[in-house]
Amino acid sequence: MSDGIALISTFSSDDECAQGIEALHRAHVHDFSAFAPFPSEKILEATSEARGQGRSPVRWWVLTGGITGILTAIALTVGTSYEWNLNVGGRPIASIPPYIIIMFELMILMGGLSGLLGFLFHSCLPAFDSAAGYRSRFGADKFGLVVRCAENEVSRLESLLRDAGAEDIAREAVITQGVPSHH
Amino acid sequence: MSANQPASLGAAAVRPLRAPVQVNWQRLNTIAIALLAIGLIGLVAALGAGQADRVWQTWLVNLLYFMGIAQAGVVCSCAFYLVQGRWAGSVPYRLAESFWLFLPLAVVLFAGVFIGRDHIFPWITHPLPPNRTVWLNVPFLFARDGAALLIMALLSAWFVGASRGPDAVRWTNSASDIEMPPPALRRLAPIIAILYCFTYSLFAFDLVMSLSPQWHSTLFGWWFFATCFWSAAVAMAFSAVQFRRLLGPGNAFTAPTILHDYGKLVFAFSVFWIYLSFAQYLVIWYGDFPAETFFLLVRLWHAPWSPLGWLAPILIWVVPFTVLMSVRSKKTPRILGTVAVLGLIGVWDLYYILIVPALSPNKLPFGWVELCVTAGFLGAFILCALPGLRIVASAAAPGADGGE
Amino acid sequence: MAAAVETNLQPSYIDIDRNVQRAMAPGGLKYWLWVAFCAFLTALGMIFWTNQIYKGLGVTGYGQPNMWAVYITDFVFWVGIAHSGTLISAILFLFRVRWRTAVYRCAETMTVFAVLTAGLFPLIHLGRVWFFYWCVPYPNERFLQPDFRSPLVWDFFAISTYLTISTVFLFTGLIPDLANAREVSTGWRKTLYTILSFGWQGTDRQWRNFSMVYLLLAGFATPLVLSVHSVVSWDFAMTQLPGWHSTIFAPYFVAGAIFSGCGLVLTLIIPMRKLMKIEDLVTIWHLDNLAKVVLLTSLIITYSYATESFMVWYTQDPIEIMTFNQRYYGPQGYLFWMMVACNCAIPLLLFIPRIRTNTVCLFIISIFVNIGMWLERFVIIAGSLATNTEPSQWRFYVPKLTEVVITVGSFGWFLMNFSLFAKFMPIVSMTELKEGIGWLRHAVRETYPYRKAA
Repeated sequence: MSDGIALISTFSSDDECAQGIEALHRAHVHDFSAFAPFPSEKILEATSEARGQGRSPVRWWVLTGGITGILTAIALTVGTSYEWNLNVGGRPIASIPPYIIIMFELMILMGGLSGLLGFLFHSCLPAFDSAAGYRSRFGADKFGLVVRCAENEVSRLESLLRDAGAEDIAREAVITQGVPSHH
Repeated sequence: MSANQPASLGAAAVRPLRAPVQVNWQRLNTIAIALLAIGLIGLVAALGAGQADRVWQTWLVNLLYFMGIAQAGVVCSCAFYLVQGRWAGSVPYRLAESFWLFLPLAVVLFAGVFIGRDHIFPWITHPLPPNRTVWLNVPFLFARDGAALLIMALLSAWFVGASRGPDAVRWTNSASDIEMPPPALRRLAPIIAILYCFTYSLFAFDLVMSLSPQWHSTLFGWWFFATCFWSAAVAMAFSAVQFRRLLGPGNAFTAPTILHDYGKLVFAFSVFWIYLSFAQYLVIWYGDFPAETFFLLVRLWHAPWSPLGWLAPILIWVVPFTVLMSVRSKKTPRILGTVAVLGLIGVWDLYYILIVPALSPNKLPFGWVELCVTAGFLGAFILCALPGLRIVASAAAPGADGGE
Repeated sequence: MAAAVETNLQPSYIDIDRNVQRAMAPGGLKYWLWVAFCAFLTALGMIFWTNQIYKGLGVTGYGQPNMWAVYITDFVFWVGIAHSGTLISAILFLFRVRWRTAVYRCAETMTVFAVLTAGLFPLIHLGRVWFFYWCVPYPNERFLQPDFRSPLVWDFFAISTYLTISTVFLFTGLIPDLANAREVSTGWRKTLYTILSFGWQGTDRQWRNFSMVYLLLAGFATPLVLSVHSVVSWDFAMTQLPGWHSTIFAPYFVAGAIFSGCGLVLTLIIPMRKLMKIEDLVTIWHLDNLAKVVLLTSLIITYSYATESFMVWYTQDPIEIMTFNQRYYGPQGYLFWMMVACNCAIPLLLFIPRIRTNTVCLFIISIFVNIGMWLERFVIIAGSLATNTEPSQWRFYVPKLTEVVITVGSFGWFLMNFSLFAKFMPIVSMTELKEGIGWLRHAVRETYPYRKAA
C-alpha cells in the first residue's frame, strides 16, 4: 500500500455500487472497500467475485467451538460420574441419555461464543480508528466505494465510477502510518 | 429435437406446444401391474399356507405406510398454501398432491384390516376389562377409523380438485406476496391440516398403540403423524430427483434451489422426528415403569428385533442428518436421492417394528410373505400415483408455465 | 391502516432511520413515570424477597406436598415468554419469512429480559439462596459433583446457554444499528453507542462475516429453543407423578411457550407502536401474521389437552383418573376451566380476519392468552402436586402475599428493563428493514385484502 489517493464515491442504490465494483474488477483494480447500510446480496456477490473470496471463515470457528463443546460435555459428565460413582436409581454410572442433553447445550454454547469471537476477529472489530473513506451516510442510506490508487490513475478511475452511477466522488490523501487497513 | 419434427404443417398445428416428456409411463405402469400381481398371488398363497398372521400384520404395516405418504403429501400442499409459499410456481404443490389417489383406495383396503382383525388386535382374542372395551371394541373401532379415513379421503379429493383448478394455479404463479390463495383453499387447507393431526393420532392410538394394550405414550399420535409427514417429504424429494433426471433439460426441477428446498425439508423434519423420538425415549427411560419400558426393550434391546429396531433411527435420522448437513449435498441429486430411498426404507422398517413385535415378540417373521404383500401395495400405490405424477411432469416440463 | 396523520407510502432508507431514531428520542414525563412505576414494583418484590430469605419459605404458602408452586409457575412462564422471541428472530429468519423484520428486535429483547427474569426464580424458590452455586460443576472440598442425570442440572445448563446465546444473537444483530445511531447522536449516548457498536463501519468484509455469523447463530438458536423448553418440561415429566409423567410434555410445552410469548409480544408491541409512532414500520399485516402464530399454537395446545385427557381415559389407570378428576372437578377446578377458556376457546376468534386486523381485539385476546398460560402452568404444577398418591398429604395450595408481590415484582422488573432498552436502543431493526425495503413498501401500500372487502 503506497501513499496515494483514496477516491470515495457515493451511490444511491446497491445495483449501481455493484456495477462499480464489477467495473473495477474488469479494470484489474483490487484495492477497494465497499460500504453499505445493510448486507446487500448484490454488493457481497460482486466483491466476492472481484476478490475471489469464498464464504466467510467464521463457520469454521463455529464448527470447532461446537465440537469442543460436545467433547467438554462428555468429559465433564462422564468424568465426574466416574469420579463420584454413585448408583442412582439403578442407572449405569455413565448414563448416556441424560448426558446427551448436556452435550447438546454445551455444543451450542461454545459454538455460539466461538462464532462471535470469529466474527469479531475476521471483521477486525473492535475498530478504534475510522476506516479510510468512511462517511456516516454509508450507515444510513448511501452506498460507498472507496478505491485506493496512485495519483496518475485518478482520472481513469473517476470516469469509471461515474459511468457506473456514482453521485459524488471525493478525494482524500492516504497517509500510511501503520493505520490498520480494514480488510 | 429432430426426432420430433412433424410430418406436415397440419400435424405441426395439432401437435401440443409443450415439449414432450421423456418419462416412460408405460414401463412404470407395467412394473406396477407386475408388482400388484405378485402381491395378489402371494397373498392368496400365504393365506392358503396358513400364514394369515404375517399376511394381515404386513397388510396393516403397508396400509399405514402408503396411506401416510399419500395423506401427508396432501397436508404438505395445505401447509404450502398456509405459509403462502410461491417460490417455484405450482410444481411443489402438484408434486405434494401427486400421491393422493391412494387415499380412496386406502378406505377400501381398510376392509383388509377388518378381515384380518383377529390376527392383528390382541384385545379381540384376549379381551380387556369392560372399562377399556368401551373404546377398544370391534364395531366402534372400525366405525370411527373407517369414518375418519372416508372423511379425510373426501376432503383431500375436494382440496386437490380446488388446488389443481385455474384460480389456484394462477395464484401460485403470481408475484404479489400479500395476495391470499383462493377462498376454497384458504378454508380447506387449515381444516385438512387440523383434521390430519387428529385423525392420524387416532389411527396411531387405535391401530398401532392398541396392539400393546398395556402400553401408552401421549406423544405417540403426534410422533406418528410427524413420521408420516417426513415420509411424504422424502417421497417428494425422491420423485423430484427422478424427475430432474428424466424430464428434458431446463425442466422445473433443475432450478438451482428446488432440490435444496426439498433437502432442507427432509433435514429439518428428520431432526424434528428424532426430537420427538428422544422425548418419548427419555421419559420412558427415566420413569422406568415396567408397563412402559417393555415396549422399548422388545424393539431396541432384545433379540431378535433390536437390529431392525436401531435400523429405523439410523436411516431416518443419522443418515439424513450427517449426509445432508452441507448445502452442496442437498443440491446433489444422487446424494439426495440415495438418502431419500434409505429414508423410505427406514420408515417402512419403523412401522414394521412398531406393529409386528407386539404380536410376535420372540420371532422375527420377515420373509416371502412380507415381500409379496409389500410388493402388492407398492404396485397399487404406484398405479394410484401415476395420474398425479403425470400432472407434475407436464407442469414441470421445460417451457411449461409451472417452471418459472 | 396506520393511524398516523401522514402515512408515507414510499418510505425511503432515511425515513426508516428517522422513524426509529425518533422513537429513541429522550423520554418525556409519562415515560419516566412509567419506568418509575415499574421500578417501584421491582423494589417491592425485592423487599419481599429479602424478607423471605431472612425468615425462610414459611412466609409463603409452600408446604408439603406443594414444594413447587407459584415460583416455579413464574419460572416456566417467563422462560416460555422468552421462546417466542427466538422463534420470531431465529426460526422465521431461517424460513425467510418477510413479516419478521419489523417485530423481531422487540421480540428478541423480550427474550433476553424474560430469561433474565426467569433465571431469578430458581434462586427465589431456594430456601438457602446462598448455596445456589453448588449447581456449577467445579472441583470442591465436598467431593460432590452435580448429578447430570437430574433435570434440574439440565435446566441450569439449558437456561444459561439460552441466556448467553440470546444475548449474543441480540447484540450481534444490534451492532450495525448501533453504528447508525452513533452517527446521529451526541454526548453520552454517542459514547455509549460507539463502545457498543465496536467501531462497525459496514464494509463488505464486515457484512460478509456478519451474515455468516447471524445465519449460524439463528441455526443454533432454533434447536436451542426446542431444547430449552423441553428441558424445562422435563423437570416435570421425569418424575413419576401422575399428571406430570407424560411423553407429550416436551413439544407441548414448546408450543405453549411460543403461544404465551407471541401473546406477550402482541401485548407489548400494540401499545408500543402507537406510543413510539412506528405504525408505518410495524403494520397491521405484521400483527395479523403474529396473530396467526398465536392461533396455530393455541390449536396445538388444544390438541395436547385433548390427547392427555383421552390417554387418561384410555388407560383407565385409577391414580391418573383420580388426578385428572381433581384437576377438572376438584376445589381448584375452576382454574382449569378458566385456562381452557383462555387458551382454547378465546383464540379461536382469531380465525376471523376482521378480529385479527383489529388492534383492540388483538390486545384483549393477548391479555387472555397470557392469563391462560400462567394458569396452565399453575394448574399443572400446583394442581398435580396437591393431590399426589398419598391422600393424607393432600393440600390445595393457596398463594400468600409474598408470592403475589414477588410475581408482580417480576413483571415490574421485566417491564422496567424492556422499557429502558426500548428507549435507548433501536427497538426496530433499521438494517433489516432497509434490506427488505421493497417488502416494506409493499406492506404499507398494499390495501389489505380484508380491508378491501370491509
